[in-house]
Amino acid sequence: MNTQLLTTRPEVRRSSRGSVNPFKGQHRRRLLRADLLTVLFWASLAGAIALWLADGGASGFSTPAGSFTALGIVAGLAGMDLVLLMLLLAARLPFIDGAVGHDRALEFHRKLGKPALYLLLAHGILIAIGYGMAEGLDPVTEAVNLWVQVPDMWLAYISMVLFIAVVVTSLVAVRRRFPYEFWYAVHLLTYAAVLTSIPHQFSVGGLFAPGTWQRWYWLAACIGTGAALLHNRVLEPIVATTRHKLSVSRVVQVAPGVVSIEMTGRHLDELTGAGGRFFIWRFLAPGMWWHPHPFSLSAEPLQLGPSGSLRITVRNLGKGSSQLARLKRGTKVAIEGPYGLFSTAARSRNHVVMIGAGIGITPIRALLESTPFNPGDATVILRGRSEKELYLGKEIMDLCQRRGATLYHLTGRRPAGVETWLPADATRSGYRLGSYAPNIAEADVYVCGPAAWAQNVLKDARAAGVREEQLHYERFDW
Amino acid sequence: MRIRAAVSATLASAGILLVGWQSGSHVTEAAGSSIGTSAGTTGTTGSTGASAATGSGSGSSSGTSTSGAASGSGATGSTGSTETTTSAAGAGNGSGTFAGSVSQTRFGNVQVQITVSGGKITDVTALQLTDEDRRSVAISNRAAPLLRSEVLQAQSANVQTIGGATVTSDAYLSSLQAALDAANL
Repeated sequence: MNTQLLTTRPEVRRSSRGSVNPFKGQHRRRLLRADLLTVLFWASLAGAIALWLADGGASGFSTPAGSFTALGIVAGLAGMDLVLLMLLLAARLPFIDGAVGHDRALEFHRKLGKPALYLLLAHGILIAIGYGMAEGLDPVTEAVNLWVQVPDMWLAYISMVLFIAVVVTSLVAVRRRFPYEFWYAVHLLTYAAVLTSIPHQFSVGGLFAPGTWQRWYWLAACIGTGAALLHNRVLEPIVATTRHKLSVSRVVQVAPGVVSIEMTGRHLDELTGAGGRFFIWRFLAPGMWWHPHPFSLSAEPLQLGPSGSLRITVRNLGKGSSQLARLKRGTKVAIEGPYGLFSTAARSRNHVVMIGAGIGITPIRALLESTPFNPGDATVILRGRSEKELYLGKEIMDLCQRRGATLYHLTGRRPAGVETWLPADATRSGYRLGSYAPNIAEADVYVCGPAAWAQNVLKDARAAGVREEQLHYERFDW
Repeated sequence: MRIRAAVSATLASAGILLVGWQSGSHVTEAAGSSIGTSAGTTGTTGSTGASAATGSGSGSSSGTSTSGAASGSGATGSTGSTETTTSAAGAGNGSGTFAGSVSQTRFGNVQVQITVSGGKITDVTALQLTDEDRRSVAISNRAAPLLRSEVLQAQSANVQTIGGATVTSDAYLSSLQAALDAANL
């Protein structure tokens, strides 16, 4: 039993074609915000350099030594600006989250890591060359002199080492070798790296020199970034945790190694709205409270009177997740979120296609429950190695029947040596994504599952004529 | 949509850089013209040399001079000083104390005074040093003795700047050059 049409397609209502698209305005605003963010990103880099120019920085180019120093300063300014932008991307700003989504923001954050490090390294090397040339010293001697003689420079060297450590441990190849906690601890050193870099910007560099425009720019940038981090990553979670007072009410085994964790709390109807369904959970039990778990809701929050309930569904992926199966009833839960754009907030069309694989099916379940569509306008495709891996399959089938969505179960191993997201027999029959969802080109496509699998789905969707802005993909792996 | 973002980002960045560069070139010019303002001398001879030509008025450029100004003045100072050293040998009849011009930097004003005896620089004292904040004071306190001993050894303003104190060094040497000019060294 491999490819199966589980619900008959309800008669397609012709009215949906002529009717207005309720998501058009939301979609236009979201794209505008994303473009605005792109402009702001480049403008801040240009602004950092322009302010330095406005304070007379270009005059350094009159001598060869001065040119090296000036280029070094430009590299340092751009590097510092990038570091602050990276912190802002990781600050869970609602404006960024709502425009491109939490995972896209972090993806961009990751991409900036290496350029920022290269700029900071270039900053150090070029300045050492420039100063050295001015004094007739080789760059290495000059670097040692700077370390020994100039106040605060030793802190800047420490900062450089910390930045290198943070970026190296974040490289994919290195990161896989260490547990999440190690990477997280090293990543926290970013704050130490930024703080140790600031004294030499005051004393040796001119970033905060009184009487310059740069002073105000950098003061605003540093204080703004710090405040954003403090507000969104410390204060907001504390407020959300105390307001909603979540605690574990039940842990149910869904399949071997997969559990649903149900929680009760207050004001849960205020929690999500049209926004994301992705939270970072901390179960406040001994030995567990410090471990953050990123999971999406697998059911919409339900508010009945004063008490409400919500649910996540988790597969036993690692040591941290396996502890979750033994959670005691009444365990308090701290939350950060909701984040993400795997929700109605990302909709742009009337039609919707939802594709989930393995544990990635669970966010699809929550989306299917809440996102608006007319009967016949939605297609749900679940993929697993076997029928047992189609978690929450029964619930999803009920929802599809109730709401008039077409459901496919695609099970079986994928063919050997072929890059595809489909099972072997489907590829043999020549099926593609369009075979299951004929009107996919005019639909929003939500994909959730393992990274390599999801990339194949996205490729197939693009080939079927789906534009980039219609694709909504939530990353699973951190 | 991506095109819209790319075009607007390019235009915005180019515009911002252009504005910065434009206002920067004004600062550089203004600072460049104000470098030569001399604070007069306390010695026997009047002010001489190109750097002192504009007379007194140390506060004429209000706070806009920057590192660009300082390094610019350093460059003119050092070219002038090579001429001074060649002519200093024969002209060794001046004695007394001579104060140099006030060099403005973004970290504060710098002015030095030299004591000349029998055509030789016997002492250099700093009347003002970069003191805008505690960091500047720390840098000044480290750089000034080093610069003084270098100058006494070289008997000219043609000495190396101190690493990490480039702005202070350039201003120091530019003021020193004005003092040397005033002393006819």
